[in-house]
Amino acid sequence: MTSSIAFKSFTGLRHSSLEHPKVLHSHTTSISPLTYRRFRITASKSTPKLQNRNLRVAVIGGGPAGGSAAETLAKGGIETYLIERKMDNCKPCGGAIPLCMVGEFDLPLDIIDRRVTKMKMISPSNVAVDIGQTLKPHEYIGMVRREVLDAYLRERASNNGAKVINGLFLKMDIPKKGSENINGPYVLHYTEYDEKKGAVGEKRTLEVDAVIGADGANSRVAKSIGAGDYDYAIAFQERIKIPNDKMVYYENLAEMYVGDDVSPDFYGWVFPKCDHVAVGTGTVTHKGDIKKFQLATRKRAKDKILGGKIIRVEAHPIPEHPRPRRLLGRVALVGDAAGYVTKCSGEGIYFAAKSGRMCAEAIVEGSENGKRMVDESDLRKYLEKWDKTYWPTYKVLDVLQKVFYRSNPAREAFVEMCADEYVQKMTFDSYLYKRVAPGNPLEDLKLAVNSIGSLVRANALRREMDKISV
Amino acid sequence: MASISISASLHRACSSHHPINKQQPQARTARSLGSKLVTHVVTLNVEGQRGVGTAEQQEKPALYTDSPKKSNDQSENGLETEPPVPKFIDERWKKGTWDLNLFVRDGKMDWDGLIEAEAKRRKILELYPDASTNEDPVLFRSSIIPWWAWLKRSYLPEAELLNGRAAMVGFFAAYIVDGLTGVDMVGQTGNFICKAGLFVTVFGIILSRRIEDFKNLRKLVDEATFYDKQWQASWKDQNAPNTGASDKIMNKM
Ligand SMILES: Cc1cc2nc3c(=O)[nH]c(=O)nc-3n(C[C@H](O)[C@H](O)[C@H](O)COP(=O)(O)OP(=O)(O)OC[C@H]3O[C@@H](n4cnc5c(N)ncnc54)[C@H](O)[C@@H]3O)c2cc1C
Repeated sequence: MTSSIAFKSFTGLRHSSLEHPKVLHSHTTSISPLTYRRFRITASKSTPKLQNRNLRVAVIGGGPAGGSAAETLAKGGIETYLIERKMDNCKPCGGAIPLCMVGEFDLPLDIIDRRVTKMKMISPSNVAVDIGQTLKPHEYIGMVRREVLDAYLRERASNNGAKVINGLFLKMDIPKKGSENINGPYVLHYTEYDEKKGAVGEKRTLEVDAVIGADGANSRVAKSIGAGDYDYAIAFQERIKIPNDKMVYYENLAEMYVGDDVSPDFYGWVFPKCDHVAVGTGTVTHKGDIKKFQLATRKRAKDKILGGKIIRVEAHPIPEHPRPRRLLGRVALVGDAAGYVTKCSGEGIYFAAKSGRMCAEAIVEGSENGKRMVDESDLRKYLEKWDKTYWPTYKVLDVLQKVFYRSNPAREAFVEMCADEYVQKMTFDSYLYKRVAPGNPLEDLKLAVNSIGSLVRANALRREMDKISV
Repeated sequence: MASISISASLHRACSSHHPINKQQPQARTARSLGSKLVTHVVTLNVEGQRGVGTAEQQEKPALYTDSPKKSNDQSENGLETEPPVPKFIDERWKKGTWDLNLFVRDGKMDWDGLIEAEAKRRKILELYPDASTNEDPVLFRSSIIPWWAWLKRSYLPEAELLNGRAAMVGFFAAYIVDGLTGVDMVGQTGNFICKAGLFVTVFGIILSRRIEDFKNLRKLVDEATFYDKQWQASWKDQNAPNTGASDKIMNKM
């Protein structure tokens, strides 16, 4: 019964997703002349028309960012190459995606392993609060396996005409400065893997007009354009196969643990996967202690994962903020390569896919569907639009993290606040749909006073705690 | 007898609780208090006098260890073999909450005692984190303690004010940002100024209590704008326009 309901709503989302691009376009055109008038003058009508061929763009990395970028490019009439080093790559990831991603990227329902409708937040003193009471019947957080999602997006890009290459990108030659070279090609060097040639692979080169770097946190494309570094968190995760009777509890429920024991600046999680759970944690400030935090996370979830077997251990960096440079010439970075993971929730799949698409759209538009050369100003439109659209979201989450993950009392207050239905509604709405529902000023004010009350109480208790010696 | 006096003090607690906590959504207050009342009735029935008796003795929470602690943390796959750790145990902690009946002194609720007991529980849990279980959920909420109980013992020194203010700054920032998200700036300006005004007022009241806190505020602002700078780096080497009005506002804060 539930599935039929969800299916209906899903087709509903599909419809809206078809209209979505149009809405977005009218949105941009109405805003940009106002805000970016100065910039518009340099727009790229000066770039030459291409003779006898379409614009060639290479996308490096076949994660959510690369897959969706390549699809959009290919659909937009661009000669697209997608280079991915490992086709069955299973990126270490919690795999939680917001509901709006399913609609906006037209994801088939069968790649969603689980629909989480309950989120448990657990404070340092083990106060557990269920959030998700405000969810409507068709609303959920999707849990996907990354190898499935990534392969699906790549396949769709390929069906739309992108050439998918199994290869390891090594470096690129950037066209030298100089007027005769201004529209010269980028030469990519990569090792192509192919069943016939064996595992060693074969060195190859590829000439393209523009490059999208979607190759994740250790991006080589970023290195090639001197994009600089970002602070990063290290995230650790264990896949644990737990007995079936224990799995029942995690059927549609995810847990978030907060506390100095599980992480000084992030949270520990138990996310349900297809037939196991993912238990993990992350930190920026105390990377050396990550194993200790992982142990603590496991310990806090102990009763619920008892009898479990660890089937896989993984760790990966998570960017904290964008790289100092996200764009140079005709090379742009998207997804983790650019550094688009939110604070507080550590969410990056949706933002990777969105940034890939947005960057590709800017190229399609700037090249008039592949007919003209592009230049930096065309790509820069993507950056402008990105920051304008999502900066507020990132900022809010940064603030939340700073206020509420800073100490145990703050975390107690945070969990206490999460019991509030208004808070739940606001957070879920903004997570699921990536838009902030207009708040009710009175409720907002109450919330502000409330949160201070919670913080004051938690801090008073902390003061008492400091007096006690155990 | 005891039960009557307690429900009376509980009622007092609830009502005096209101001035500061009136913002608490009705449903939730009702729910948590409701369940609390139920549990305390149950415990009363089960162990009426014994419970009251222990209250007088002021039982100390005990740190209880099953066996000498030998850390064996390297056992990577050892989901089953956890090293034994001390556990929090207190007679007055029952079914996931403090048995309020046992905090009654001379017919009055001993909120200070409750605060101390909860502080002790949290301290022990901080030192020896415990598994959170579904069989034995923690139901106690600090919000059942009335606001005057916190004030009475001057639990409200600088640090808390600062933290409260941090929340304010955060909230204020979040609020501006909320107003801007996905909305056309220009169209929203009117509305937005109203909201901002509201918060500046509240903010001002809390802020102006101490002037020397200004330095702290500066620190907070620096901290709050650090992320902005990290984001803006991409626009440094270009003369391109900034990310938009939002971060200029953030910077002014
Ligand atoms: C433990 C953990 C848990 C997480 N949980 C969540 C979560 O629950 N929800 C969420 O939204 N986000 C989560 N994230 C963040 C999320 O994983 C990333 O933000 C997201 O994967 C970014 O996608 P991407 O396409 O930019 O990069 P990636 O997914 O990293 O993809 C990069 C791709 O490029 C390929 N590649 C790299 N270098 C080369 C090269 N030289 N040549 C060719 N190919 C190359 C890689 O093989 C890979 O397929 C989590 C991250 C971690 C580490």
